[in-house]
Amino acid sequence: MRVDGVPSLPACRVPLREGMICARQNAPLGADADLLRAADFLFPEKLDHHHLMVHSRLLGRVALEVARRLAGLGQLPDAVQPKQPGALREEQVVVIGGGPAGMSAAIAAAQRGARVLLLERDGRLGGAALLGVDADAPAAAWVEEHRRALVQANVEFVLDAEAIGIYPNDAAAGPAKPALIAVRRPAGLVAVLADAVVIATGGMSQPLPFAGVDRPGVYAARGLLALAVHQGVRIGSRVCVVGEGQELVDAARALRGAGYELARVVDAAWPNPSGEAVPPTAPDLPLLRSLELRARGNPVRELRAGEERISCDAIAVALPPAPAHELASQAGAAAQFSAQAGGFVVSADASGCTSVPWLFVGGRVAGAGGVRAADSGARAGVGVAERIGAARP
Amino acid sequence: MNDKAIVCACEDVTALELEDAVRRGFGDVESMKRYTGLGTGPCQGKSCLAAAMRFCADRASLPTAAQVPFRARPPLSPTALAGLAGLPDEIVRRRDSPLPAPAARLGPHPLQPREPLPERANVVIVGGGIMGLALAWNLAGLGERDVLVLERGYLCEGASGRNGGGVRAQFTTPSHIELAKESIDFMARFAQELGINVWLRRGGYLFLAHDEPTLRRLEASVKLHRAHGLVTRLIHPGEAGGLVPELDTRRFIGASWNPDDGVVFPWPFLWGYADGARKRGVRIDTFTRVTALEVTGGAVQSVTTDRGSVRADRVVIACGAWSPSVTAMAGVALPNVPYRHEIVSSEPLKPFLGPLVTMLGTGLYFSQSMRGEIVGGMGDPNEPSGLNQSSSLRFLTRYARALTDLVPRLGHVKLLRQWAGCYDVTPDHSPVLGETPGVRGLLQMSGFVGHGFMMAPAVARRMAAWMGGARDELFERFNVGRFAEGRLEKETMIIG
Repeated sequence: MRVDGVPSLPACRVPLREGMICARQNAPLGADADLLRAADFLFPEKLDHHHLMVHSRLLGRVALEVARRLAGLGQLPDAVQPKQPGALREEQVVVIGGGPAGMSAAIAAAQRGARVLLLERDGRLGGAALLGVDADAPAAAWVEEHRRALVQANVEFVLDAEAIGIYPNDAAAGPAKPALIAVRRPAGLVAVLADAVVIATGGMSQPLPFAGVDRPGVYAARGLLALAVHQGVRIGSRVCVVGEGQELVDAARALRGAGYELARVVDAAWPNPSGEAVPPTAPDLPLLRSLELRARGNPVRELRAGEERISCDAIAVALPPAPAHELASQAGAAAQFSAQAGGFVVSADASGCTSVPWLFVGGRVAGAGGVRAADSGARAGVGVAERIGAARP
Repeated sequence: MNDKAIVCACEDVTALELEDAVRRGFGDVESMKRYTGLGTGPCQGKSCLAAAMRFCADRASLPTAAQVPFRARPPLSPTALAGLAGLPDEIVRRRDSPLPAPAARLGPHPLQPREPLPERANVVIVGGGIMGLALAWNLAGLGERDVLVLERGYLCEGASGRNGGGVRAQFTTPSHIELAKESIDFMARFAQELGINVWLRRGGYLFLAHDEPTLRRLEASVKLHRAHGLVTRLIHPGEAGGLVPELDTRRFIGASWNPDDGVVFPWPFLWGYADGARKRGVRIDTFTRVTALEVTGGAVQSVTTDRGSVRADRVVIACGAWSPSVTAMAGVALPNVPYRHEIVSSEPLKPFLGPLVTMLGTGLYFSQSMRGEIVGGMGDPNEPSGLNQSSSLRFLTRYARALTDLVPRLGHVKLLRQWAGCYDVTPDHSPVLGETPGVRGLLQMSGFVGHGFMMAPAVARRMAAWMGGARDELFERFNVGRFAEGRLEKETMIIG
């Protein structure tokens, strides 16, 4: 979406404002007349750009011209955007992520004498705990109680602060501080130097590759929950939940709790079962097992699961959220795939210390989501305080 | 019409395409990412890499130790140039002492080929970058099929997979101009020769001069270019502004312009040459690290790797910035020095930028790829030498400042992904080619100072012919002995 002359902004993450000018990109005739579907018609299986028109130099040049015009999303921005003045901070311990793991890490480290800065990408603390997916895990009351504990422990927490990169500090500033974190704030970037870092960034919803998954009306289950919990918005009333494992069962129950009628709950492990089977005893849910899924309608009105046609207002995809390993991986920490965890878990010892000595992980990033997140975060908080040699108060 | 089962929603990569990639041998996620484009869009793999790894683990039977993510590249989410440009100067100032080098992976790679190395080969080429693979293809084309290429990573892991894809004939020495001219002509018919698109787009190269001495240097090189049949000409800032209206024309006083230069998509060159070479009987072993070279009686005898040894009549060193360290295993010191160069890619925009633009004073360069991304980099005069492929925030800040100064409308454009590669720098910025004095059978093919990619097709063709017995002055002119003899060929049109 082009918003106020700036291309390629995610419509779902830009807050609405009076007078905002929004324009669609790459769909001159609107969403119903997708000109690029011509490519699907010409190349029904797939468009193999590597081997397209390789036999003729002339046709190759035509393909080059056509491909270039089709490439890209938005047009160049309209206006000149001057530099946004940034800032530099020197800190002791930086905790990235304000969910149960990050809050617990920050409190534990601060209680052991560390000076702690907690960064949260969103406008509120709590992260996934507020969605109520796991009935036994911390929820809103826990978050409020621990927000007060953060204040009491003198943790500085900053909302709307997204860490976008962790680098080894090679700058002249703060030469004794090994970590350099780039943090995006609404007004500009802040470079934060730190003695040690705890990453507790939780997980990322994953899509399930079934036919029609790119149609409007297919949502991440946790996205639907966030809309319902934070904005009070529901997409119609009848939802099909598709996914696998405990997350499928938990997300379906949470959606029901948020006011949705469950049309079907479809166990659709792809492409091979993760090893974590759907608990067979979920008699409260309209369960169905099918690997043959197809979304129909624009927006989605029906899910076809094998022979069955299920009418619905939305499809919610519920796979285990993939641990958000990316920041730790950027800094060079080792991570290992785990089908059960739904992605790559950052390798760490019992104190949360990764293969990078100044980098700790807690919560889902360390493979401990849901009920285990707070404990895992607290251990990382203790570990990081010991690493920097913080004195007990 | 059939709906597709999309795995990577940013780049519309389907489950079918992953199947195809595995079938073609791109079964690890680093190779799969490069072949299919998976994970190269705005989300950088955050919502497709786990699914892709499941797929690889299942279909390509990846061993557990290889079930690791592809290299995570900053920034974590798309970040506007205007914000990066505003970071404080303390970030841009480098500390004096270099950082400790990151620990290298020890022990054999989990993706090593299972079949043992052959006992011997007529030619062993160390380095599976564009130089080594193009040489292998050319050698086999001339009938020398007993060739083994050893690559320490996946194809594209080194500088051949890390460059910005700029190709130009604008150089300041006749040899370089001729090598690049022939190579670019070959690139235009690469798809017909090797069966894969490299997307050569001849949008031209615009060299900007910020001061009088630089402009005079460009003036001299234009004369040389025209003598070699190039259409390069010197243009005023106004005309450059006509070619790229977004440029702030107050930032330079003139430019040299050649509309025949262009940009390519680098990765398919490696896949094309590798496929072509394999079809001609060449063996290419990836994830195989050379650990020793045996020299007795003044001649090379064998190459030892972390998978055993192979005897060879001739060993070609074609490992770019790693060439000095591999050649040192034979007791020979090359004058080449490795330097990191950083590079970054933006969100994809509709095409607006024709040429590759470069500023000779700052070393800034940028172009628009066929996918619409602004791909660019910038040299750093304070960069310490070393085999360093890590990324820095300093680079993003310097690049963002220089780029938005020159093209102010890019301030709102967001950067997606940064990475780095190593230049292989020689004292005269010319390559090291041919025999190694004192070690018979040890041949050099290195020292290309960041422009090897653009002349590899011609260098490899001539090297293969020369190895087959043809006479060629190139291999005398650029012999490593010239540094001792003081016969230097100074190339000055170096970017970065």
